[in-house]
Formats: sequence, C-alpha cells, structure tokens
Amino acid sequence: MVLKVNHLSSGYGNVKIVNDVSLEVNTKEIIALIGRNGVGKTTLMKSLIGHIKSSSGKIYLHDIDITKLSPAKRAALGIGYVPQGRGIFTRLSVLDNLRMGENVGGNPRSTNFERVFQFFPILKERGSQKAGSLSGGEQQQLSIGRVLVGNPELILLDEPSEGVQPNIVQTIGEIIRRLRDEEGLTVLIVEQNLDLIGAVADHCVVMDKGSIVTQLATKDLNNPDVARKYLAI
Amino acid sequence: METFAAVFDVIYQLFDNIGFLILAASGLVIIFGMMGVINMAHGELMMIGAYITAFSYHAGIPAPIAIIFAGIGAGLVGMILERLVIRHFYKQLLSSLVVTWGLSLLLSQGFLIIFGPSILNVPTPFGNFPIGEQTFGIYRLVLFAVAIAMVASVWAIFTYTKFGTRARATMEDPDMANALGVNTGNIYALTFGLGCAMGGIAGGMFALTATISPFFGINYTPLAFITVVTGGSANAISGLISSALSLAGIQTGINNLVNVYIGYVAMIGAAFVILLILPKGISEYIERRKIRVRKVTNK
Repeated sequence: MVLKVNHLSSGYGNVKIVNDVSLEVNTKEIIALIGRNGVGKTTLMKSLIGHIKSSSGKIYLHDIDITKLSPAKRAALGIGYVPQGRGIFTRLSVLDNLRMGENVGGNPRSTNFERVFQFFPILKERGSQKAGSLSGGEQQQLSIGRVLVGNPELILLDEPSEGVQPNIVQTIGEIIRRLRDEEGLTVLIVEQNLDLIGAVADHCVVMDKGSIVTQLATKDLNNPDVARKYLAI
Repeated sequence: METFAAVFDVIYQLFDNIGFLILAASGLVIIFGMMGVINMAHGELMMIGAYITAFSYHAGIPAPIAIIFAGIGAGLVGMILERLVIRHFYKQLLSSLVVTWGLSLLLSQGFLIIFGPSILNVPTPFGNFPIGEQTFGIYRLVLFAVAIAMVASVWAIFTYTKFGTRARATMEDPDMANALGVNTGNIYALTFGLGCAMGGIAGGMFALTATISPFFGINYTPLAFITVVTGGSANAISGLISSALSLAGIQTGINNLVNVYIGYVAMIGAAFVILLILPKGISEYIERRKIRVRKVTNK
C-alpha cells in the first residue's frame, strides 16, 4: 500500500470541509476521486500534499506518518502534486519550470529531461518559451512533466482535464496509463471528465459533503443514472 | 570648447542622476519589485551600510572593502528582520507598510541614541577632472558604473543561478514551489537579505558623498520607491532601468532649463503621469509589446 488515510478531517479555519475520510491506494493503482463540485475533493488533495493542515486523523505514505510534515518533505518522500489550475510558474521558461522539479529531496541536481520529453515531446519544442504563453493542454503536460523530474512514487492529479481541449485530454489519459504501466507509478486523480476517468481509473471513490460515501467500479459510470448521481453533469 | 563643456556638463548630470536613482533603488527592486514587500525601512538598511562603511574606513580598512562589509552587514540584518518580523506580513500590503515604517523609526532613533546625531564623514575619493572652466568629480562616474554593475548582477543572479530560478518561482507561487521540495522560508530570507545587502552597498557608496546621520535613509527611500513603482514589477529589472532613464532624463532636462527645485518637481510629476497612463509601470507595457511582437512574427 502506498497511501493510507485514516479518519482525516481538514478545512479552512473552523470550517471543516473534509470530514473523517479514510482511503487506501495500493501500489500501481490509478484511483479516481469523484463527486460534485464543492464536496471537498480539492481540499482533500491539498491536505494530502500538506497545503492545508489536518485537524485530526493520519496520513501514511507506506508506513511513514506524514501528517505533520511540510509539503517539501512530503515531496521528498515521493509525492508529486499536480494541482488544480496546473500551478505552473508562468514567468519562468518551460525548461526552468522543469528544473524546479529537481528541487525534490533537498540538493538540486541536474537531471536529463529526456525521460520527460519522451512522454511529452511538445515540452522539448517549447523549452525556451515562457510557460505562461503555453496553451492549457501544454501547461498541463508541463505540470505533470515537472513532477516526473522529481521521480515521485505517487502522483496526486487534480482535474487534469480542466481547460484542456478534448484531443489533448485523450493524450494525457494515455500518458497517465503509460506512467503506471511503464514506470510503475501510483496515481490518485480527481476528475469530472467521464471519458478520462473511463480511460484511466481502476476504480472510483465517491465523495459527498466532505466524506467518502461509496466506491464504484469504473464501468458503473457508463450507467447514466449512476453518473448523474455522483458527478456534476 | 565652451559648448563642449556645457554639453558634457549636462551628460555628466544625466549619468549622475541615473546612477543615483538606480543605486538607491537597486535593493528595493528585489524587495518591493519582486517580493512585493513595501519596505519603508529600506533607507535605514542603507543607513546601516553607511555606518558600517564609515566605521570600517576609520578603522583603517580601504573604502572598497568597507563597502563590501556594508553589504554583508546590511544583508545579515535584513535576514534577521525577515525571519523575526517581515515574514509574518507577506501579502498584507498595509500591515507591511506600518510594520516596516515602525522598524525604520526604531532603527534611526536607535542609531541616534547609540551613536549621536552625526559621525565622522568619509572623504570622497578619486578627486576631480577639469573640462574647460569646470571641474567634475570622478567618483560620480564610479557611482554610475557601480549602479550598472549592481543591476547587471541582480539580473544575472535571478536569471542564471539555481537560487534565482527558485526565488522567481517562489515569488510567483510559494505553495507550488514548496510542494516541489523548495524550502520557501529560506528562499524568502535569502532574497530579502540580498535586497538589503544591495541597499547596504548603495548606502556605503553614498556614504562617501553625503553626511552620515541616523536619518541618512530619508534621502533615499522616497526616490527609491518612486523609481521602482514607476518601473513596475512585470519585469523588475527592465522596469528599473527604463524608469531611471526616463525620470533622470526629465530631471536633468528641467534642471538645466529652469532650476534644481523645479527639476525635482518635474521628475515626481513625470512619475505621476507615467503611472496615470501605465498604472502597472513601464515594464508591464514593455512586456505587453514583446508578446504582441512575438504573436505577429509567429504568424
């Protein structure tokens, strides 16, 4: 098991948004975290990387308790975070954005980015361009490529399809699968896009009002009634 | 010969004014232009640099080394202030204004109590050179050269070093930088310290031309802010250069056409007009033009 969340609660100030969530993600699994807008999916992701402090409960990476660690330390232990809105540094060049991935684990070292370019050839072409001038899809690829530089074991992907044109969403889906199949990565993905969930997820965990309410097989979402019940469609 | 001397005089003044603005603003361009901290105590960091320079010089240390000490000293004081005080007020413009204003009073009054109202000045080195009837101080040209060298090194540090990349990333999105393994607290402290070190060096350079007192900083803080704000933060370095060029140009021109006082007023008026037309500063306009040109050439 890579990630284990035990009765986790978190939120902003006194407002509790994530409420008593327990979750397990196994090695080389791709789990989709789904649910309507505003049920706490992104807040849960932010709690997992450490941008939001947890008010109670525990988070384990393998058997290490990471609940109190800073985001930088969690990254060093192998969590790669691709936030909602992509979080790229718009004023830095594409290559400088990738170089930021080298900071994981303390001493920055020079990496060769060929492995990243193999998955995202467009980033090689755009290398010297300001990242802010990339299209949404290219920025998304940069954000995923950047965490790959730090050799994570688990990637937290928050809505990678948001603001990305459909054919690129499909490409990103294929790459997520390849990352698991070829590189052995584990992925926890928050997503609303049925096609992308269908293409990548082993199974789905459904959130509602801050808690996990049920688990679904990915194919269950082919049933429009189920999809309508759990997603913002 | 007389015309040449008159023309040289204006060019000399222009270089002097440009050098003054760039040097006064070189540390603030990091602290306010890049980090967004309204540091009202920036002049006091320069004052600390001036004191370190004067004390070192009178202890027998050569002026250039005394000025480097000033940079190191002001940088260390800056990092301590950042860790103890400033870091609690990022992204809170008004609070940072009030708090750093308090710091500035604390520092200047503290120096007044400890060292008294004035200390022994440091003589201006290098002497003069004559052109026609007039003589010109060589040190003013050195100030200009150092100002250019400081801007170039700030630019090089932030463009080419790993620290620079991490600092720019942290200033844009500290949470994301942290999630990528960057110790953002250290980056903030170092960046603020670097800005203060630049201020300390500038203070040390000015110490050789001015009376050194606890209120030394008051001469520089307002002009430093005017220069940095007029330049804008879209690209802090090109902003600093373009605003120093235009403000010093107007100041020098009016200065010679009317008088020194009106020259100052015209410079501040020019900053006012520039900010009315380009509220985000000159650099924002330059960056916009660049993007437009790139789009046109891509087609």
